[in-house]
Amino acid sequence: MTPRGATRAAGVLAFALLLGGCAGPGGPAAWDKSFIAKPEMSMGWNALGTRADQQIYESKEAASGGYGVGGGGCGCN
Amino acid sequence: MAATEAPRLRAAAGTTAAWGASLGHTPSILAAAMALPGIAVAPAAHAEGKPEGASVSLRTLAYQDSQPGLRRIRAISPTFQVVTPLMDEDWWLNGAIEADSVSGATPRYHTAVSGASRMTERRTAGDVKVTRYLERLSLAGGLAGSTERDYKSIAGSFDLRWASDDQNTELSVSLGGSSDAINPVNEIVVDAKRTTQQLALGITKVASRTDVLQATLSYSASSGYHNDPYKVLDERPRQRRQTVMMLRWNHHFADGGSTLRSSYRATQDNWSVQSHTLGFEWVAPVSASVKLVPALRAYTQTAADFYAEASYDPTLGEPFPVGYDRNNPPRYISLDQRLSSFGALAFGLGFVWDADREWTFDGKAEVYEQRGRWAWDGNGSTGLAPFRAYSVQIGLTRRF
Amino acid sequence: MPDRPSPQAPTLSRHGDAWLFQFSAMGCDCEVHVAGPVSEEHARNAAQAAILEVRRVEAKYSRYRPDSIVSRINAAAGQGTPVPVDDETAELLEYADRMYWASDGLFDVTSGVLSRAWDFRAGRLPTREALHTLRQCVGWTLAVLERAPGASHFMLLRRGMEIDLGGFGKEYAADRAARLLQERSVRHGFVNLGGDIRLLGPRPDGSPWQMAVRHPREENRPLATIALSDGALATSGDYERYFIGPNGERYCHVLNPHTGWPVRAWRSISVVAPLCLAAGSICTIAMLKGEDALPFLRRQASDFLAVDAQGVVHRREEGAAAA
Repeated sequence: MTPRGATRAAGVLAFALLLGGCAGPGGPAAWDKSFIAKPEMSMGWNALGTRADQQIYESKEAASGGYGVGGGGCGCN
Repeated sequence: MAATEAPRLRAAAGTTAAWGASLGHTPSILAAAMALPGIAVAPAAHAEGKPEGASVSLRTLAYQDSQPGLRRIRAISPTFQVVTPLMDEDWWLNGAIEADSVSGATPRYHTAVSGASRMTERRTAGDVKVTRYLERLSLAGGLAGSTERDYKSIAGSFDLRWASDDQNTELSVSLGGSSDAINPVNEIVVDAKRTTQQLALGITKVASRTDVLQATLSYSASSGYHNDPYKVLDERPRQRRQTVMMLRWNHHFADGGSTLRSSYRATQDNWSVQSHTLGFEWVAPVSASVKLVPALRAYTQTAADFYAEASYDPTLGEPFPVGYDRNNPPRYISLDQRLSSFGALAFGLGFVWDADREWTFDGKAEVYEQRGRWAWDGNGSTGLAPFRAYSVQIGLTRRF
Repeated sequence: MPDRPSPQAPTLSRHGDAWLFQFSAMGCDCEVHVAGPVSEEHARNAAQAAILEVRRVEAKYSRYRPDSIVSRINAAAGQGTPVPVDDETAELLEYADRMYWASDGLFDVTSGVLSRAWDFRAGRLPTREALHTLRQCVGWTLAVLERAPGASHFMLLRRGMEIDLGGFGKEYAADRAARLLQERSVRHGFVNLGGDIRLLGPRPDGSPWQMAVRHPREENRPLATIALSDGALATSGDYERYFIGPNGERYCHVLNPHTGWPVRAWRSISVVAPLCLAAGSICTIAMLKGEDALPFLRRQASDFLAVDAQGVVHRREEGAAAA
């Protein structure tokens, strides 16, 4: 399997697992989420810092994105 | 009755957690109580819940990159952000404005030091996003724009997030579009245009009391002017289509109280660039109000199929690549280091200090290095000087 | 519920590094404690919403307000006409039903009328005739609940019957108030309604709150302090309303619905559970079970602290410890 094919397979598998997971009632009980509620457990934690980091990386690398849509450009063709 | 010390009972930190762990089932009285609506715990537990409260933040990024023998770009980027509810707690506004000062030298081709173009630029950017939160749904619309002497851009986006009943699963859909106008100072083109559309789908799952997982698939299609006008021999396709897959995992360690945030991103596009990124951030509390955040990022990419290696034609000399025919030049070509094949590593150390109920300070220092030799597939581009960048960020947030 | 109307605005003070809102509701002193990185304004708004919710629950289920749903149900007892109840009330009545069966008939929201035979203020014992008459009006099996979403009905079958949700109203209100605070992103603090406590999260530095449990006989020192980071703590005791009879024996307000006489086996029982409603129901049922309380408490998997009639303290882990 080519690296490209392997990556694609991994992605589809990850999606299938997560989607399959959301069909059933998995996950912690409602009263057991004290850790989940911590700010650093949220995917959106430190949004400004992530945005600054991504701007640096995207101006020096060919790949971009993955963290959300719609920030507008930065003229670094 | 004997007069003794009041006995101290120690309930496990996270009593509710201890319940579930020890039982494996919910006793009937508790189950009956939990059945009543509107009383059980329901924290926002996914990608982006409602903000904690209104806040204002000021952040500055200071950046310097270089290659051996040449300091390249330097930038200072202050950003100001406001998060505030509108009308009531279900409508929120998130606005930011940024004013960058960028200056320095960039090679005209590969990492050639001589003839590097120098510039000084000021860039202003702003964005605004309005989110409406409903029972299990949230909708957001945003506008963003940026302007600098040779480049203007305007973008819009729309997000929709839907959470399941038990709040353990969230699906998201995002759409975005942008329109850019490029007017390089060397006037090699005038008013070149480029438009981009993006679509992203995501699932976030609270897998256990200590784990949150996320998978996102994004697609972007961009058409128009993609060349770098300040580089020699740069002609890129007018279409670029990129697919990105990102997997994220946040894991909390119950003993110790630290959190490990991991991510893996794979991209591919129609320019034949494929990349992989592995990132780790470890949020470690060191005291009641301070957390240290060491971070590691490893990146690799393959070269664009029209990238020409830094190996020059003996007859024509630099910058012409080997075999370049001036009477029949290749349709697409680029000598841009950013489209070469390389690996990059970044190490960072950040901190978050919650000084009091209203103020938080945070910062991060990071060193980043990029080298052809570090490409993960072993076929890194040759002939390019290693590239290094230092950055420091400092932020201040005031809550209301 | 309350035997005096709930007055005035909550008072706000700084308590260490937390905001403390004190108010009166449900006949007792109540507190909302908000800590962590929130501004005064945000804390005030969140606490205000929580306090309003407590007052809303109090008013809706009060026996003393003629327009409350409980009063309307009680007024229609024995008339054969089902009273329409909204979803919240239907859920609470269904909960009462589950508690009846979980306690083998001891936890009975229709047993409130028995206290009419007693005069706790004057310290008078009931007459056999009074208790006999009132016992005819007690019995959850003499109530009918028809559940349909948005169209539920409830009916008491015999004249003179009454329901009283005071047995879990305070605990329910504590959980509702805590939920509202949570929705306003308060992650550190707790709600304390007269000893029925529901926590939102630990102190901002991560350490637990130290909750004092009242000593059933000594006012000046606590029975114990329990360190809690989340979940709830509720206590039921024989010291809340009582009188001492002619022979020195104590008569408290927790009455066995079958006999009409107070329970005697326990001075106080405190229970820790994820929800205040669950904690409160468990400790009330345990008080009512008397001698059979300990096996019941152990089956619930709750952390508990129980002081028996001799003053011996019983805990979940091992046997007794002298108090």
